[in-house]
Amino acid sequence: MKAAGSRAIGKGAGVGRTDASTGRLRGRAREAFRQCFSFRWVAAAVIVLVWFVYFPVVDNFIISTTRSDIYTGDVSYVGLGNYSRLLHDKVVWSALWNNCAYAVISVIFQVFGAFILAGIIESLRSDFWRRFWRALYFVPSAISLTVTGLLFYFIYQPQIGILDAVMRATGLGALIQPWLGSEHTAIYAIIAMSQWQGFGYSTLLFAVAIQKIPGEIFDAARIDGIGPIRRIISITWPLTREMTGLMILVTITGAFQVFNEVMVMTGGGPNNASQVLGTWVYQQGFIQDDFGYGAAIASVVFVATMLTGAAHLWYTKRGRVSW
Amino acid sequence: MKRIARLAVLMGMAVSGMAISASATRASSSRKPVVAEPGATVDYSGTLSLLTKFGVQQLSPYFVNAAHAYETLHPGVHVVLDQQTDDSVKDKTKTLVASNSLPDIYFSWTGNWGENFVRGNRAVDLSKVIASDTEWGKTFTPAAVASFVWHGKNYGMPLYLDAKFMGYNKQVFSKLGIGVPKSFDELLSACDTIHKSGMTPISIGNKEAWPAIHYIGQLLAYDVPEATLEKDFNPKTATYTDPGYLAALNQFTSLVTRCTDGGNMNGVSFATAIEDFSNLKSAMYYQEIIEFDGSASAQTPLKQNDFGFFVLPPAASAKGDTKAIEGAPEGYMINTRSKHVSLALDFLKFITSMSNAEALSAPPYGQPSAVIGAVTDKNSSSSVVAGMVDLNATPFLMPWLDTANTPGVASAWLNGIQALAGGSMSAAQVIEGVATAAKADADR
Repeated sequence: MKAAGSRAIGKGAGVGRTDASTGRLRGRAREAFRQCFSFRWVAAAVIVLVWFVYFPVVDNFIISTTRSDIYTGDVSYVGLGNYSRLLHDKVVWSALWNNCAYAVISVIFQVFGAFILAGIIESLRSDFWRRFWRALYFVPSAISLTVTGLLFYFIYQPQIGILDAVMRATGLGALIQPWLGSEHTAIYAIIAMSQWQGFGYSTLLFAVAIQKIPGEIFDAARIDGIGPIRRIISITWPLTREMTGLMILVTITGAFQVFNEVMVMTGGGPNNASQVLGTWVYQQGFIQDDFGYGAAIASVVFVATMLTGAAHLWYTKRGRVSW
Repeated sequence: MKRIARLAVLMGMAVSGMAISASATRASSSRKPVVAEPGATVDYSGTLSLLTKFGVQQLSPYFVNAAHAYETLHPGVHVVLDQQTDDSVKDKTKTLVASNSLPDIYFSWTGNWGENFVRGNRAVDLSKVIASDTEWGKTFTPAAVASFVWHGKNYGMPLYLDAKFMGYNKQVFSKLGIGVPKSFDELLSACDTIHKSGMTPISIGNKEAWPAIHYIGQLLAYDVPEATLEKDFNPKTATYTDPGYLAALNQFTSLVTRCTDGGNMNGVSFATAIEDFSNLKSAMYYQEIIEFDGSASAQTPLKQNDFGFFVLPPAASAKGDTKAIEGAPEGYMINTRSKHVSLALDFLKFITSMSNAEALSAPPYGQPSAVIGAVTDKNSSSSVVAGMVDLNATPFLMPWLDTANTPGVASAWLNGIQALAGGSMSAAQVIEGVATAAKADADR
């Protein structure tokens, strides 16, 4: 009896465990099905994202390990050969230098310069003048890069350009250079144009960030006798930290994606002196018919901008501002 | 977090799978060559696509009008035009090739540019319909037809002829007592005289890098024997050891120093330079025949009567062909993947009919047709007619350096000459760079 009872109990317990685990399995399956079913709401967005964003990125890495002939369609696998070639390509290094120069100068002018200018504009008492200066500085940003490039091409013209004319009129004629025609000045002439174009946009964004700071903080500082420069350093700067981080990210990634202005103004010349990574990718793919090598350079640009983005995420996570 | 990571892994796998499968489809495709037959029946229905190089405002109406006339003649046919400019057609063509989307008919230069289409089996063999002994082929200048021959077969139809000449302002030359230079030294002396008058002797815009290359091409034809040039155009046989290369580049350096604004040229567009000539700011501009009617016309300050031209004169020490002229016909090919090969061929015959050829040669287009007898005093400007006389008399048509060479070698020329003009490289360094590029191309 005991044994039978034990068996019965055992049997009964076994059945109970099986039922319970089956039930759990069914529950999990239902849950999985429910999750999959709910996934349908975002499926379209995910497919579009995968197809148009992640697929090209992975495909680019795959292409970067090949050498292809666009005319015959022949593709051969070269492994990391294109990356090894990249390390010995002098133009890649000079292009990288140009991108870095672009980034550093842009951060100085379009982040720190724009922050100071926004601080000055927002400290004006007159509402009219605040709006006026914001609008005035924003105008260049409303012009397309191609148009701006053409505009500055004429400004830098040796014979009819306004820059040389002004320099001659102000006694600086001896400093005149073939701005876009010299290997030493071409990239800096382009960077200068870019600052003119992007400065106002950054200023506007900083102005918005400054407006979000509660006025009471500034009022309290004034009552305590803190001057305008100290207010910018001790109140405005730390309380716009998130915007500063965002602007640095946008400016640096933008500097690594530069293309239009270089193509319009110099085409990367003279003698590749103003090539940036973007134009060198284009040059390799569409002029030299070497899409594999172009893809390898594009991968480097991708990694550089990814690292910048990751650094920004770390920075903003660390220093989120709230009040 | 785990769920997100799992999702990311799944997405990564899916993306990799798609990329690998897409890469696999890039394998070489070996299709049979397509040959155009003379007696093939033409089905006058469907859409015919066409990529042209007539995208600029002055030229674009030519194909628009021709397409409209063809559609009127054959109501079942719809012609779709993609008109690009001289620069944009290069990128557009390569994009279309890489995506296997070439139109039924597409523009092509001669030299390495056209050879690539033949190598990739993307151009229909037109030998049976356009070879010099065929009915249609006999209507063209033989040298123009021959320029589109590779491996003994005809793959292209020449539409117009083009060559480079030095355009000059007759009034300025007359006022300063300068005659048409007969030698390179005379040209340099003329530049000195013009410089002293306060005018820029020759305007050059070399931002695009190819304008200065055209000077080099002509000077190389004079200073390097033709056989050596032909050998050096092929990276596998190239040596670039002929002393004529150095001589030609040194002549160019002299020209830059004495005739132009120097290194400034690298920051100036070719369009600005030709405007300077048309606006009487410079005395000379090195230009193609197809630019004659644009640089001097009733609308420009430089009038047609004041426009003259001469062949860039050779140096006394030249060891090459001193009768050579740099230039080449430009034409069209038919895509081997076209479903309308016969119709495409019929359209090409239509645009090279005498009436269309004459229209092409006349202002405002001013593109001297490759059809024999199309360029006459009646329909073309006197400059274009005279240019064609010189062109037909030359024993050697030197191809454009940037289309005759492989892209790597062409880039070495383009960048090197920009550096030479800017003073950052010597002539010897430029030639060394070109030889290195040729070796790199040969090793691939």
